[in-house]
Amino acid sequence: MTSTAQELHPAPTLEPGRTILELKGLEKRYPGTHALKPVDLAFKAGEIHAIVGENGAGKSTLIKLLTGVMPRTSGEVMWEGQPAALATPHEAMALGINAVHQEVVLCRHLTVAANMFLGEEDSRFGILQQRAMVRQAQKIIDDLGFDLPAHVVLGDLTIGQQQLIAAARATVRGTKFLIFDEPTAYLTRKEADQLFTLIRRLKGEGVTIIYISHRMEEVFELADRVSVLRDGTLVGTRNISETNDAELVKMMINRSIEQVYHKEHFTPGAVIVEARNLSGKGFENVSMSVRAGEIVGLYGLIGAGRSEFVTTLYGRHRKSAGQILWEGKEVQVNSEHDAIRLGMALAPESRRDQGLCLNLPVSLNLNLPIYKRISNNLLISNAQEKTEADRQIADLRIKTPTRNALASSLSGGNQQKIVIGKWLAHGAKLFIFDEPTVGVDVGTKAEIYRLFGALLSKGAGIILISSYLPEVYELADTLHVFRRGKLVATHGFRTADHEEILTQALAEKQEKLGGQT
Amino acid sequence: MSTEAIPAEKPKRNYNALFGLTLLALLVLLWIILSVATPSFASANNISNLLRQGSMIAILAVGQTFVIITGGIDLSVGAVVGFATVIVAMLINAGVPLFLAILITLLVGVAIGMFHGFGIVKMGLPPFIITLATLTSLRGIGLLMTNGNSISINNDAFQLFSRSSFLGVPNLFWMVILVGIPAYIFLHHSRWGRYLFSVGSNAEASRLSGVNVQRTIYMAYTLSGLCAAFVGVLLASRIGIGNPTQAEGWELQAIASSVIGGTSLFGAVGSVHGPLLGAFILATINNGANLLNVNAFWQRIITGALIIVIVYFDGLRRRGK
Repeated sequence: MTSTAQELHPAPTLEPGRTILELKGLEKRYPGTHALKPVDLAFKAGEIHAIVGENGAGKSTLIKLLTGVMPRTSGEVMWEGQPAALATPHEAMALGINAVHQEVVLCRHLTVAANMFLGEEDSRFGILQQRAMVRQAQKIIDDLGFDLPAHVVLGDLTIGQQQLIAAARATVRGTKFLIFDEPTAYLTRKEADQLFTLIRRLKGEGVTIIYISHRMEEVFELADRVSVLRDGTLVGTRNISETNDAELVKMMINRSIEQVYHKEHFTPGAVIVEARNLSGKGFENVSMSVRAGEIVGLYGLIGAGRSEFVTTLYGRHRKSAGQILWEGKEVQVNSEHDAIRLGMALAPESRRDQGLCLNLPVSLNLNLPIYKRISNNLLISNAQEKTEADRQIADLRIKTPTRNALASSLSGGNQQKIVIGKWLAHGAKLFIFDEPTVGVDVGTKAEIYRLFGALLSKGAGIILISSYLPEVYELADTLHVFRRGKLVATHGFRTADHEEILTQALAEKQEKLGGQT
Repeated sequence: MSTEAIPAEKPKRNYNALFGLTLLALLVLLWIILSVATPSFASANNISNLLRQGSMIAILAVGQTFVIITGGIDLSVGAVVGFATVIVAMLINAGVPLFLAILITLLVGVAIGMFHGFGIVKMGLPPFIITLATLTSLRGIGLLMTNGNSISINNDAFQLFSRSSFLGVPNLFWMVILVGIPAYIFLHHSRWGRYLFSVGSNAEASRLSGVNVQRTIYMAYTLSGLCAAFVGVLLASRIGIGNPTQAEGWELQAIASSVIGGTSLFGAVGSVHGPLLGAFILATINNGANLLNVNAFWQRIITGALIIVIVYFDGLRRRGK
């Protein structure tokens, strides 16, 4: 076993002969953000190397650089001792670097077998050898111990099963280096076990595995070594036998709390909205309320049901049980329209998909919710449209050449200000911010938080959803923790510490600590 | 903050208007060339004729543009025109007062548009499919109603309208103005116009911002149906018959005019003046080719090539920005 040999070297420096892939000062900058600060890291052949870190820590940037999806800004990558450009996905694959992504990136309309051999079809005289491919694919799947048919259409399988197929596909292509990006996010326990069996088997065959996960117990179950990323910096690498999850969590979140969080405290006023035993798609039996002048934080992993809860509150999805009370009276919120009429405003999670009309002017985006107010029955008041847009641009310091510039031409942070800004003129009472600072640099973050204070001072209430613990921790007056569709814990402002909250959010409490070899 | 990238981009102010001007320049250029090249082009008679030819496609293109801005397509408009000629002819021949006959025909167009909206919003059908279905079935319904014959309209006043002029300008062209001005105000100065753009750009973001997306889609197709029915009335007046097979292929000319006029088939980009100019550019090319005795087969090829060239350069200019 190679793994036993690896335990000899606790220090991150490695003997050159054993190193399959080495990063030397690998760095990535985007306009406005420094996504990955120079990273030095070496991966040993045949190891399972876990990478942990919060959202935005730079994990996905690292994967994109290694798989050739994006070019690096500077630094070097050595593949088996030779410099590798990794400029295109094709080049990465040719070297034997493959990735299995959290979202399945396969053709859902093709069969399992067709997906397995996509791009490397078996054909004779230009005719596809379909039956041979199905037989071959079935053999691979059976070998891996997955109980799945190869002839069915991929889309007919569950997401978890598709994930297994994606993993199987990556194994049949001469892969030497395989990256799993949160592969278990959508898997059942049984499917996850099958995947782990596959991963261990690949390791036995000498394949190097990078395993990215939020779930501590998986890291301890699988990995030989673990590296922690925080804010684009590699904080450290540990042998799994020499660390425990408390240390890892500390490495992940131990940060100087920047001068970013401007928390103003207000005496909470009357209850604006209350959910009583609300259930719907993706969450169940959630009760909570938001008072005037209060920030209610919802923390949990992606898929924990936070977003589903607020979109149901907002009328986007139907509730299946429970009640919504607005200012003490039960209300039916059957559409976004109803919610907006009551006085709710939602800045959704995905700017591009849900928040903005990208190929339309800033002005139109800012005024979209209030066109009714700034027009008579027939015509829009051009003057008012301009005034409102210019006021938001000035108040929020949106960097745009003019109000008529297209939203797509602004940077992420400024786009986010539009998503938020369009509700300010509308005069809502309850603001729901779903991951408001994802992909936003520190300066803009601070401005957004300052804005929260301004809203609260006017008597509004805020629901703040974030996967970034310091954000909700430093800002929320009341902090609810979600896990797997349930509200599992509630804290006041800074009444619990990070570790406790993280543990509550990270599902099954980690029982066994430390060593397994 | 300091690293925040400010796009070094020229403001896209009056972008639509500018494009409108380039198109207008193209149209004027075509007219100058043709006036020099052929003696008959600049005659009052020919210009009137040209305006008549372009008018009906222009009105169709305006309705079509509303739909395309939402990211959809209305393939049915040619069939609606043919069907509307039948309806209005039958009503007039049945002795229904002219005003009422026209009104009912327009309402039929509205109903067809509502049906498209229903198919898209409630049945979840792609716009291409539901309007394609209407395209073929409306022609069939019209043929059933007429037994495949043309219906001659017995009303001279009705037919006189399309041949007459007012202030030296053909009535048909006045109709373009009658449709164009309200359409312009609707699209660029009313909130419903804004909603057409926002739905075409991002329906989900619009919905979350409180825009009634379904109603917006209903509205776009209804207006397109209404424009088509109106063109049907004008066509019936011009040719004096009701015939369901009329206006074959006009939907494609309307789409072409719209696209030449700067409308993006991906939605959220378009204007009213663009498609109008597009329609008259197409009419000018046909008219000029006739005067220059260009083979009718070649006309079609030239039109096709021109669509590619104009839209290609438009795309280049957009990307170049």
